Amino acid sequence: MYCYVYDEALQDRRFERELAQIETRLTDLGIAGKIARLALFRDPNELIRDEIRSGVTTVVAVGNDTTLRRVLDAIGDRKTVVALLPIGPQGAMTELLGMPVGVAACDVLSARIIEELDLGEVNGKRFLQSVHIDHGDFVVHHGKAYTMTPQRKATVEVRNFASPDDAGMQSPVDGRLSFIIRLPRFSLFNKKVDIGIVPFSEMEIMYETNVTALVDGERLDGKQFVFRVIPRALRLVTGKSRKF
Amino acid sequence: MAKGTGSETIIAHGVRLEGDLVAEGDLIIEGEVHGNVKTQGDLRIGEQALVEADIEAGNALVSGTIHGNILVRGKLELLPSSSLTGDVTTEVFVVGPGACVNGMIRMGAEAVVVPKGKKRTESVEE
Repeated sequence: MYCYVYDEALQDRRFERELAQIETRLTDLGIAGKIARLALFRDPNELIRDEIRSGVTTVVAVGNDTTLRRVLDAIGDRKTVVALLPIGPQGAMTELLGMPVGVAACDVLSARIIEELDLGEVNGKRFLQSVHIDHGDFVVHHGKAYTMTPQRKATVEVRNFASPDDAGMQSPVDGRLSFIIRLPRFSLFNKKVDIGIVPFSEMEIMYETNVTALVDGERLDGKQFVFRVIPRALRLVTGKSRKF
Repeated sequence: MAKGTGSETIIAHGVRLEGDLVAEGDLIIEGEVHGNVKTQGDLRIGEQALVEADIEAGNALVSGTIHGNILVRGKLELLPSSSLTGDVTTEVFVVGPGACVNGMIRMGAEAVVVPKGKKRTESVEE
């Protein structure tokens, strides 16, 4: 049984026609289901958990990365299949998962190519993509094996799944996260960035003062950040053109 | 600037690592490492890198400075800017003009065979 969780932005009239086309196509494909609408003062966790309790096995986030993120937060088990049906302006996930935008995504959803993806966890908060911390003074503890310290100003990213960039491509199905450190180096005429990458399964980053981390775009304050990978924690519908 | 492929470990210039570094894939060191280094894959040590460690690797290409013993199962290549103070054990050894080596050198296929139950470098696995 399917449940479609509509982002609150889809209440805008400009999405009416596209939503109607999608609902028709889903009915044609025989995968229509219950519709739940996210709203400003409605707790999405409670809404989605109620649907799962009532027998829903596939939860589809209709919207963008943010909608998917809110759905993931509410789903705690590995049985429920999650999907993104992209409508409107998109972030990185649409391309990474190989989901076309709009009504074309219905056919991909119907094909049900399900991948088991890893999730990252920082201080008990789960993330699918990455964590950014733009603050310099820290020490990284990799268990009892070693410590790592930057010798000049640096920014940190802990990544599970992201678009290929200057730090390459990290797979969400390899059972590891990647610690990425960027250290800008300035000379008279140019700026160069040194990049370090360390794959890991558990790691701790400690700061001297309270700093803010962005966990898939959401703020998390703290001095100590304990990371771990949760292998195969999420069952996600993907398209053939997925980037992993 | 090194660029990641997802499976390699890169210790960037400006990073200091203390302890036992065990990498599963290839390893690139551009910064400072103090302790032990071990990889089954290939190791590349950059020109500005400083490694004060016993090293074990599949193949190695060195441009920087090493203080410690090095065991390479395949080919060890020291580029002209490199400096190595320590014993070398490798199957194939290539030394560029100007590279500096101070230590005992053991070469050949028999030299790199580690007797069962004996470790050349003590290291902590992940």
